[in-house]
Amino acid sequence: MNNPHIIPLDVIQLVYAYALILLSLALARLQQIGHEKQLLWSSIRMLVQLIAVGYLLHLIFAINSPLPVVLMLLAMAGFSLQVAGSRIKQRMPNFYRVVGSSIIIGCGGVTIYFSLLVVGFSPWFDPRYLIPLAGMIFGNAMNGASLAAERLSSEMHERREEIECALSLGATSRQSAAEAIRNAYSAALRPTINTMAATGIVALPGMMTGQILSGTEPIIAVRYQIAILCAITGAVAVTSFLIVQQGYRRFFTDAHQLKRE
Amino acid sequence: MNMNQQQKSGTDPWVEFIDVGVTKLSPAGTSMVILDRISFTARQGEITGIIGASGSGKSTLIRLCNRLDDPSEGTIKVNGQNIATIDTLLLRRKIALVLQKPFMFEGTLLENLQRPFLFRKLAPPSAESLEIARVLDLVQLSKEMLKRNARSLSGGEQQRVNLARALVNHPEVLLLDEPTSALDHPSTARLANTLSNICQSEHLAIIVVTHDLYLAEHIVNHLIYLEEGRIVEQGVGPQMLAMPQTTAFSNFLAKPEKSSS
Repeated sequence: MNNPHIIPLDVIQLVYAYALILLSLALARLQQIGHEKQLLWSSIRMLVQLIAVGYLLHLIFAINSPLPVVLMLLAMAGFSLQVAGSRIKQRMPNFYRVVGSSIIIGCGGVTIYFSLLVVGFSPWFDPRYLIPLAGMIFGNAMNGASLAAERLSSEMHERREEIECALSLGATSRQSAAEAIRNAYSAALRPTINTMAATGIVALPGMMTGQILSGTEPIIAVRYQIAILCAITGAVAVTSFLIVQQGYRRFFTDAHQLKRE
Repeated sequence: MNMNQQQKSGTDPWVEFIDVGVTKLSPAGTSMVILDRISFTARQGEITGIIGASGSGKSTLIRLCNRLDDPSEGTIKVNGQNIATIDTLLLRRKIALVLQKPFMFEGTLLENLQRPFLFRKLAPPSAESLEIARVLDLVQLSKEMLKRNARSLSGGEQQRVNLARALVNHPEVLLLDEPTSALDHPSTARLANTLSNICQSEHLAIIVVTHDLYLAEHIVNHLIYLEEGRIVEQGVGPQMLAMPQTTAFSNFLAKPEKSSS
């Protein structure tokens, strides 16, 4: 099943590649940035994780059955949530419930839509399509989810006076938090909007590059890239929307009272 | 002339606190009593003053009246009805709270006065309307100021806008949390005069939390002295100030500058 267009990388070639990490490490030490250990540890993690996932994917492709694919997608959702949670210092109340359900509905929904309607592969669980597509959708939506949740928490904290003033004047919870909700949603969408605007000019996306390297026609690779960027935007938009809409309510009681911090 | 002499005494109990208590958990997890068995009555056409040192529970008490917070025990009645049974949004239109720090929403003074209408999804009154003229007149602001950016106004002017904005809802009870904390003496005297006039012309029950003895002496009918969450002394304002009955209140009167909230 090896693609005749691709140059397979052997261990020696990977060692040459890893030498660039050692160069980065040396430069970091020269500049005394103090993150040398972190850089080394991250590169080792990257190495181990990718080798592990490579063998896991090899196994899942060989089994070619829906159950391992679904389990893999659930694990992706779980890791997305865990990473999003670990990045945030100021967490909203019921963080994991709000962000977890938003990631599952937002990313899961977009992945199903994209798989069935846009690409339309068969069988529906084909791991060669479903896993990489879901990986890109979940990974990017996780960034949006982190931004939405963190910004919402900080806005609710900083705008406490404004919110209580509005509540005192008869505003509902939603009306009083409108500005915080708007800013959090805007912050979550901004990187995706910027990425779309810069794609093809500033940078060639990884997926497209990978497809071209593996011998796919550039026009087909571009079509896939356009489609996946649309899916990522949709997933970030839906997931972040659900986070801010569910999230702001957690700061209030049913009687439109701002909960104490 | 003492403004109390100009006021007619109210008769109807409008806001009643019956054995109200607030208990909170400290960061260490122990239970802290913030307010302990508070009972008093505020009447229409009267100004009830609540004074006490910093941390005595004054601001907590006033926040209970329009349900920004709820008590742990006891009952608060407005016009004979338990406020826990009234829809919070309706309650806050009846009972307006002017917070200590005047928060100005982005926009002009007119837009700030229109906010409460927008919260209620009503058509906002124009600059020419009788409604706007009424509240401007009550707080002694000129119509020419309506187009000015609310955030560019002086502290005293912002406090007046804060008051006017609370009055556009035609409240039955007006709550003020430290309204003079950021004002100089002439502005304090003007505000005292304004409150006294509003109380009479609108026949409101006014509850004012203050550490300012000028307000307590000149406009307060019913005075309540709080210490560590308990009512230590209450009675007719000028009489209480002239003849304190407890050592605690005498000490407070001797060093009122120590209190700040």
